[in-house]
Amino acid sequence: MTLEQLLADTKPVLLDIQQRNLAEIEQARDWQAKYRVLMQLGKKLPAIPEKMKQPELLVKGCESRAWLMHYHDKATDKHYFVLDSEARIVKGLMAIMLCLVNGMTTTELCQFDLCHKFDQLNLKPYLSQSRGNGLTAMVSRIKQCCK
Amino acid sequence: MPAFDVQQFRQQFAFFQQQPEWVYLDNAATMHKPQAVIDAITQFYQHYNSNVHRGAHQLSQQATILFEQARSTVASYINAQHLHEIIFCSGATAALNQIAFGLMHTVLQPGDRILLTQLEHHANIVPWQLHCQRHGVIIDVVPLTAEHRIDLVAYEQLLALGPKVVSFSHISNVLGHIQPVAEMVRLAKAAGAVTVIDGAQGIVYQQPDMQQLDCDFYVFSGHKLYGPTGIGVLYGKTEQLEHLTPIFAGGEMIDSVSFINTSFNKLPFRLEAGTPNIAGAIGLSAAIEWLQKYNNKQIIQHKSLLLKEFYNGLTFIKGIDILSSHVHNAGIVALNVDSEHPADVAELLNQQQIAVRSGQHCAMPLFSCLARPGAIRCSFAAYNTLDDVNRCLLALEQTVEILTA
Ligand SMILES: Cc1ncc(COP(=O)(O)O)c(C=O)c1O
Repeated sequence: MTLEQLLADTKPVLLDIQQRNLAEIEQARDWQAKYRVLMQLGKKLPAIPEKMKQPELLVKGCESRAWLMHYHDKATDKHYFVLDSEARIVKGLMAIMLCLVNGMTTTELCQFDLCHKFDQLNLKPYLSQSRGNGLTAMVSRIKQCCK
Repeated sequence: MPAFDVQQFRQQFAFFQQQPEWVYLDNAATMHKPQAVIDAITQFYQHYNSNVHRGAHQLSQQATILFEQARSTVASYINAQHLHEIIFCSGATAALNQIAFGLMHTVLQPGDRILLTQLEHHANIVPWQLHCQRHGVIIDVVPLTAEHRIDLVAYEQLLALGPKVVSFSHISNVLGHIQPVAEMVRLAKAAGAVTVIDGAQGIVYQQPDMQQLDCDFYVFSGHKLYGPTGIGVLYGKTEQLEHLTPIFAGGEMIDSVSFINTSFNKLPFRLEAGTPNIAGAIGLSAAIEWLQKYNNKQIIQHKSLLLKEFYNGLTFIKGIDILSSHVHNAGIVALNVDSEHPADVAELLNQQQIAVRSGQHCAMPLFSCLARPGAIRCSFAAYNTLDDVNRCLLALEQTVEILTA
């Protein structure tokens, strides 16, 4: 497995999440429905093979670990991402973050307000500092990519 | 004595009236406080607030009396021989740090050994590591048996290496297993070691008797005994406390100070530098006095009934991996849902307003030995009811259903 392959596998999934699943989450009848979708997202995303999970890719939460890979296509100035997490719900939430920013240019990524978007999706509570899930760490890692 | 009435007991916790939807099973992390404790703290601040041991005025004398009464309540609760053997500190962590720091170069010399166990909380590992590394003291670790209990055969073998200090927990904060502490102290003493017991989880299970247990040190936090946070107790036998170099220096703990020479105050003040947590000590004392109105045997019975129901219910849920044994268990159950990450399980329980902790519970060496990434931990207290148990079981069932759908 190479980064190119992972990117190629991840890209359509993130697109599908954006086009289909975001609405499902917003319209979920109850928390159970919402979590079922979140966990499906986690499943849909291709896993990063153990061998590729280098320490520098690690994004640490209190309770679970996640990994983020980033590719900057210099020709088009677009940013693409691949991610994995030990925990499925966290992976689903992180997948939502990624689908919102995947393919953005450096300027777009810098200006993008992830917290605001999460609020719109009624997912803001998951971003709170006091949660040990590592989502805030993931936000700052994504933001660093445009530096 | 009338039978234990859990509703009557629970009613004294305003928290449950404020948060009636929540099932609180994170008692091993911290417990709720009965009204008696909240009142004692409020009353102290409203009526008696003053600093202790220093003012010439009557208010300070009153505060000092209350503070020293708190010491006396703790001393008699754990049957310490002397009042000065009760050192107030901020909690079990602070106490263990004081002991580990304080024994270096008095009891522990370079090249000496100490003995810990595989299932300790980080608070009973890292302070030792920190100071042992700097002073060339070697740490040995007692392994666990297949049932995740301290391996007593290995323990005796390691004692034969002649450790100067042995430190272990009374009750595992992850598994809830009650260690055979009396036997372990006896063996350690026979080997000539100073004994330290981390009673952070033990204190609420059973009223420990220091003179009977005969350990050299026993430490605990007030907040795991229905008391406030920020107060804890370092109990030590007089001659052992005399060995401790104070980790904190400052006011109150000195006899005389000059830039040529400073001489220290006597116990317990020598180890209580600075203004103590006066309201905390009074709150802890109120917790102990309040708790003593109840029969602990009945409380233990009530908790084992909860545990029995919980274990029984768990057998009906598919794919539960239980790490704790129900035998000699103080009311803590660590478990996983097969091949699911504990963070997911805890999050789904959280959605159903079941408060449990997930992760490695500050016991990473234990988890490396359990070969699991972590676990969720359900810890029961006397104010938990059968209804709490059933709601947790239902929520777990729902969790498994969602996870395996
Ligand atoms: C066995 C054990 N030791 C030590 C501690 C540390 O207690 P505290 O954080 O109150 O100092 C805990 C608390 O979780 C514990 O369970």
